[in-house]
Amino acid sequence: MRRVVVVAVVVVQLGLVARGYWSDHKQFAFQMFPESSTWRATVVRVTADGRRVPIERQWSGYRWDELVRVRGLSYPSIRHHADAGLDNQLAFLEAALDWVASNTPRDRETRYLEATVTSWHNADPPRVGVLRSSVREGAG
Amino acid sequence: MNTAAARASPDARGVVAPFDDLLGRAVSMRALALLRVLAGPVVLVHLRPFLADALDGRIYRDAFYEPYAAWYPEVPRGIYVGLLLLAAAAAVAMSLGLLTRLATTTAFVIVAYNQFLSTTHFHNNRAYLIIVLGLLVVAPCGRELSVDAWVRRRRGRPALDPSAPAWPLWLLRFECAAIYGASGLSKLVDPDWFGGTVTWQRVVRSREQFDAWPLPDWAWSVLTDRGFHTGAAKMIVLTELFIALGLWWPRTRYAAVWVALVFHIAIEMSASVQVFSYLGIAVLVVWAVPSTRDRVLRIDPTARGHRQWAGVVRTLDWLARFRVEPAPPGSQIEVVDRDGTMIRGAPALGLALSRLPLTAWFALPAPLLPAVRRARRAGRDGAFVRAHSPISER
Repeated sequence: MRRVVVVAVVVVQLGLVARGYWSDHKQFAFQMFPESSTWRATVVRVTADGRRVPIERQWSGYRWDELVRVRGLSYPSIRHHADAGLDNQLAFLEAALDWVASNTPRDRETRYLEATVTSWHNADPPRVGVLRSSVREGAG
Repeated sequence: MNTAAARASPDARGVVAPFDDLLGRAVSMRALALLRVLAGPVVLVHLRPFLADALDGRIYRDAFYEPYAAWYPEVPRGIYVGLLLLAAAAAVAMSLGLLTRLATTTAFVIVAYNQFLSTTHFHNNRAYLIIVLGLLVVAPCGRELSVDAWVRRRRGRPALDPSAPAWPLWLLRFECAAIYGASGLSKLVDPDWFGGTVTWQRVVRSREQFDAWPLPDWAWSVLTDRGFHTGAAKMIVLTELFIALGLWWPRTRYAAVWVALVFHIAIEMSASVQVFSYLGIAVLVVWAVPSTRDRVLRIDPTARGHRQWAGVVRTLDWLARFRVEPAPPGSQIEVVDRDGTMIRGAPALGLALSRLPLTAWFALPAPLLPAVRRARRAGRDGAFVRAHSPISER
């Protein structure tokens, strides 16, 4: 029995280490300080009437920095280090957009949130991309 | 022999039997008992931000979080906060060795449950903590250095056997080495890391943080020099890989432990890694040979200095390396090593200090000093002569 347990743990651990090379989230892969990459994003709420409102402005009693307090996402307009790598950081940002879109019931005007992300992978030139939350039902 | 083993071919049994023997051999659990004591404060430090938020009336789901799976159970707010408090109490009990297995299991289950509530909770240091707690749960590590053992003694009941099958220890050694190996390998295969770009950019972009350090201008020039990082990055990668591999061989183990300590302290000074440094250093105790009281420190009980040294060794000998025995009046302090090597005087003290967890880092280079090497050589020759003399054969 203990032989099975030991072999299973070793195999699973090695599998998780390998998974770290392609997964955005690298649980138990132990890739420490993987990149010097940095990022910043302009995040806006796109309303039903087409306005693009920066999330730095409070809306319907919500504040972005109170809704999103972890993983260096509270102030996206400031250039940050991507602690666990750029892919990981942007996966969190995308999930945060979705969470905010789904958890702001008093907001009746936002259709979706959009982040225009400028990222610098290590010493590479900057790249610009756009992330969007899912579209909110019943906005406007 | 079980049915599967009976059916296995002789060749397979030849491979499996030594493996089984390695995993099943009873060894001292002292290192894991010490690690258990040290892990309690790590759990408390880990829980602190969650508890601080909870006491301010906030929990993880009041702001952005991302569950791993929709089916993962989430408990009501009051119960969640209660679980965090229970985990903190369990961590204290685990360190003290009070209802050790129950406390360790409780701490492990709650810390792991909390970790898997959200992808945002994940950090490498927390993953390592879960691994360590999980292996402490399956190892009988409460039979010494614990209130449980003390209560047992007070009640006049015989002490439980402090040795147990070695497999949890081997697994923890594997995990410890795997972490350094995985980290080193990921940097080795990344041209930006191995070429120095990553460390160079991190230093240059963290200038504000480094400004708080009392660094002379020339040191700052070196640290921000691109060429310096071309070499430094390779040193970092090779250091991690050396630790991962060096821990496995007795000849390189002490060096690997020594380097690992320096490595963790350097990381702690230059980056915020939460409990990783403390935990990483604490786990190094599992590399101690899992046997106890197999070295002897002989002192002259009439000499005050000797008694003081014996006190130091007894107090700091958390891994139970030494038996302290009296020597005839006028004798020098003497250490008899595991292999029978006998050394006396200052080299003996150097050797003793190099085998105590708190002083090991400072004293580990001592056995490399010429005087200590000479003393060990002479002691080994002496041990050989004694072992092969007619008197010893009797």
